Amino acid sequence: MIEAKHLTKRYGKTVAVDGVSFTVRPGQVTGFLGPNGAGKSTTMRMILGLDTPTSGDVSVDGKSYSQLTDPLRSVGALLDASAVVGGRSAANHLKWLADTNGIDRRRVTEVLDLVGLSDVAGKRVGTFSLGMNQRLGIAAALIGDPETVIFDEPINGLDPEGILWIRNLMKSLASEGRTVFLSSHLMSEMAQTADHLLVIGRGKIIADASTDEFINRHTAPSVRVRAVQHTDLAETLIQRGALIECGSDGAMVVTGLDSAAIGGVASAHGITLVELAPLGTSLEEAYFDLTKDETDYHAGQLTGSTKGN
Amino acid sequence: MSIATNTINETHFTPPVPPVRNSTITRTCKAEWTKLRTLPSTWRTAVMAVTISIGLGAVLCISQANQWATMTAQQQRTFDPTACSLGGFFLVGAVLLGALAVRTVTAEYSTGMIRSTFTAMPARRLVLAAKAAVTATFVFPVALLAVVVSFEVGQRVFAGKHLQVTFGHPGVLQAMVFAALAVSLVAIIGVGLGGLIRHTAAATTTLVLVIVGGVTIGQFLPAGLRQYLPGTALEAAVTVHRSAGLLRPGTAITVLGAYAVVALVTASQRVAYRDA
Repeated sequence: MIEAKHLTKRYGKTVAVDGVSFTVRPGQVTGFLGPNGAGKSTTMRMILGLDTPTSGDVSVDGKSYSQLTDPLRSVGALLDASAVVGGRSAANHLKWLADTNGIDRRRVTEVLDLVGLSDVAGKRVGTFSLGMNQRLGIAAALIGDPETVIFDEPINGLDPEGILWIRNLMKSLASEGRTVFLSSHLMSEMAQTADHLLVIGRGKIIADASTDEFINRHTAPSVRVRAVQHTDLAETLIQRGALIECGSDGAMVVTGLDSAAIGGVASAHGITLVELAPLGTSLEEAYFDLTKDETDYHAGQLTGSTKGN
Repeated sequence: MSIATNTINETHFTPPVPPVRNSTITRTCKAEWTKLRTLPSTWRTAVMAVTISIGLGAVLCISQANQWATMTAQQQRTFDPTACSLGGFFLVGAVLLGALAVRTVTAEYSTGMIRSTFTAMPARRLVLAAKAAVTATFVFPVALLAVVVSFEVGQRVFAGKHLQVTFGHPGVLQAMVFAALAVSLVAIIGVGLGGLIRHTAAATTTLVLVIVGGVTIGQFLPAGLRQYLPGTALEAAVTVHRSAGLLRPGTAITVLGAYAVVALVTASQRVAYRDA
């Protein structure tokens, strides 16, 4: 469980994280979503005691990070998979980590197996691909068998197979009762992985809801309809409060009623439907709408603050 | 690389492994030792430091022996065959081992691995102290080996001119140990500079200036001040013959120790309060 209270980080005049409060609960995957430079990494570094908050505080299981005894046994983190000294082998990289918290070295073999790097355990990390580095970073995060895991953009640079693997891993970690907190700037990825969403833009939390709730609230489902008695159906649907747009091919795009309701209306009025197709809800668009005022950098525009990640 | 299947096995320990019982200090030192010894470059640097020290020391001794006849009586009287045989060690070996110490810190900053280090070990001052302790402990025997062999090779060269001294000669054994000790202290200064500067090239250059450059700059300082410069103190630590303008070897080691403490404490404060 991670709890942030009025967490703020200022760099000079730039506010990277602006008084955010949130709770990340165990047993589910919580997605931390926001455009690049929104304050995700800074927030994660503050959780891990790497950056000192300007004000406010953040705790893991009720303790500030520096108060944790053997922190790797409570929290595992992957911030930047390429942040390893290349001359060491994968197994040795995990060995020194195990040593820091008095973790039995048997665990090194276990986590290497878990992430599928056993065959290259003795190879220099400097020769690893980005995907292998990501797996090593995940092994490092899991070495202390922690109750809380934090991953910053874990799917960056992974191939589809790797993405699917990470997605399943996150879900299985959550199903074991752990607190799983992962950041991404990709809405579509989060919608498939996260149970709960925290959306951040320009250092402020702009949405904190379950993924289903978020989708329902921010997207309007629409249905493509064509009928023999076109005008009759349109009139009836408008009476029911639906909004109708006419497509160029003569089909209607109905919002405000789902396909079951439209089918019911048609059948009750003896209208013959030729086409009834629910259109995919555009989550990416909803996210874009929500964060467009909060994005630091817009294409073709040079205003905005200068604080990166 | 073997591709893991998409079904995820239980990620917990099976069966749960109890924690290894030892203190935070022991763990931190053990982890830093694992880091140091698992980098192949550590051992490459050690081998290079020893071989170059011996080789260069031999060349310097041969050149010195050949010049013997042309040296003034004064030069011949103050000639220190021990210090001379360690010339290669101080010119190159000490610098290589000092640079190794710098890299134990800067390599982590430049790659970003320092964040893994500090999330695993939030007591940052302890981490820096452990790096200093482990590196100095590693450097000492390596330096001692370089020193002893350099001495032995040098004395064989001087034997041709009957200038050689032996290990039993007064002050020689102390000079050997002090030479290794002095370079261990230089390693601690290196760890400190690494923590303060964070960039490998900049910190290494600074260390070289502290060791070697100090001697050059020192020529513009009054002798009373000059003898306290780290480079001059390093030179004084291994003298068997007392020379004017140099501290007594024991005092020189204390002065170097003070530099090491100041560097390490200053770096610890910076590292503890700076965002990682």
